[in-house]
Amino acid sequence: MTVTETVKAVGLRAGARVVGVASAEAFRAGVPEGYRPEDILPGARSVVVAGGDGPTAGAWRSADHRVMEITGYDLRENVAIHAMCDHIERELGHYAVQAPSLPVHGHEPPMSMMHAAELAGLGSRSFAAHIILNPEYGLLYYAALITTLPLEPSPPLAEPACPHPGCVAMYKRIGTTPCLRVCPACLSGTMQNARIETSTYDREKCHSRAQTYGIGSFQKALLALVDEQDKARRHDIIYSDFFTKSVESLGFFRDSIAQCFECMRVCPVGRKYRKLQ
Amino acid sequence: MTDFAVATKQIKTLALKAGATVVGVADAAAFDVHAPVKHRPADLLPGARTVVVVGGAQPRAGDWVATSPWLLSTMGTTERIQGVGRRVAQAIESELGYYALFVPPGTASGDTPFLSLMLAAELAGLGTRSLAGPVLNRDHGFMYWSAVITTAPLEVDPPDAAPACPAPPCREMWEREGTTPCLRVCPIDAGGCLGGRLEHDRPVRTAYDAGRCNTRVHTHWVGGFQKVLEETLNEPDRERRKMLVYGDFMTRTLWAITYSSTNIAQCFECMRVCPAAHGLKEMR
Repeated sequence: MTVTETVKAVGLRAGARVVGVASAEAFRAGVPEGYRPEDILPGARSVVVAGGDGPTAGAWRSADHRVMEITGYDLRENVAIHAMCDHIERELGHYAVQAPSLPVHGHEPPMSMMHAAELAGLGSRSFAAHIILNPEYGLLYYAALITTLPLEPSPPLAEPACPHPGCVAMYKRIGTTPCLRVCPACLSGTMQNARIETSTYDREKCHSRAQTYGIGSFQKALLALVDEQDKARRHDIIYSDFFTKSVESLGFFRDSIAQCFECMRVCPVGRKYRKLQ
Repeated sequence: MTDFAVATKQIKTLALKAGATVVGVADAAAFDVHAPVKHRPADLLPGARTVVVVGGAQPRAGDWVATSPWLLSTMGTTERIQGVGRRVAQAIESELGYYALFVPPGTASGDTPFLSLMLAAELAGLGTRSLAGPVLNRDHGFMYWSAVITTAPLEVDPPDAAPACPAPPCREMWEREGTTPCLRVCPIDAGGCLGGRLEHDRPVRTAYDAGRCNTRVHTHWVGGFQKVLEETLNEPDRERRKMLVYGDFMTRTLWAITYSSTNIAQCFECMRVCPAAHGLKEMR
């Protein structure tokens, strides 16, 4: 086994569904200064990306829509990243850090996990809110590590995961795709020669739907509370399901990642893993 | 063709290896006579056949004997069992090829869970309800539960025939004093939460004040935050508002929310005094 293969095996054993490697250099072309791997870890040579599973097929199939809203995730990709970081530092003697992915200004993270996944050959952007789709598994959740260890970069995808052949056929027939049709409010795009030609999405609209309960909804409710002069109405807001769930989602963030999955529900990429007995 | 005896054993072994103390399987249809519509396995997963229940992550023996009242109230471990549930769900899908739904540990609305984990534990033969309320396992006592609904026809476990509650010392106490440790520590007619009796050596619960219990068990949880937030917003005096915001109560509610996995509950008194709640293993 090469060093790269060994690192990947550690990640897969720790629960990642897929692991890929990008060279730190590859980020220079598309990432502004200050957000590149070497701006986070001096001397960065490689970025290792792990993709983890989201909801189970059973959760996708549930008749109760609220199950998916708080279904609970493993976030195993983060565990896999830490296992690989430990391996790199303890066994191989190189620096390794988990790449920071939580927003620090607005929606902006110090490093884009989506871009890292693309560069590591794990997926490509889709019509569906530009979510990175893995050609085999579809929707995965990504985490990354930055290391000074030189590793062999994974090859880029030979073919983009989106559009799926079924979506290409649908577009030819009726000029739309399953995701564009299910959510014309957030998504729009065009296709040319079986490739995405243009793709845009209304991030603010999508965000307020995908994260009905979370920090944003808590802030919204808090502002409404502070602005509300009537004591009885304040009481109603505080003890409402909306506010309670917003506060719960702050504590149980792992269980309350997103509340809208409609563009992914209709996406055929990786669907074979959602068809069980 | 899948051998479901083997598959059941495989899933149980995986659960135990992943950190469960006990694991059992309930028949999905068995919930129908006990659970309300929309809260039965098939309401959540069409075609549900069985429910795998894992238990564990309970306070350690050392936690129960610790003298600091703050230990148990800030060092909960319940989150660990949810991780086991998630792994079981993933294993059923990836290794057996059947749908598996990890039952969300939160509530669908208000205080109503998607599926009662206590009922699931009982039906999977892992324990029985105690006079104090929680389901107790005969060997390990009080524990936390997680459940996975699946379309896989796994082998079902029989219900537990020998309940952990009442424990022999509680029977003796009942005969002697007409009460039990849990009823005495939290009596409903003296500001507590519990009422009940022993009848033919079986626990019969006659009263339980869920509202009161909830405010004591979750002193610093979402409810505590809502309470202090309302008080703060209603307070016209700026200095007093500042005191409320920086007070221990508000601060601890915020710790509880952010450290949700370690700050689950703040009252364990009925379980602290229960002779059946701490397991059979003697510690030195």
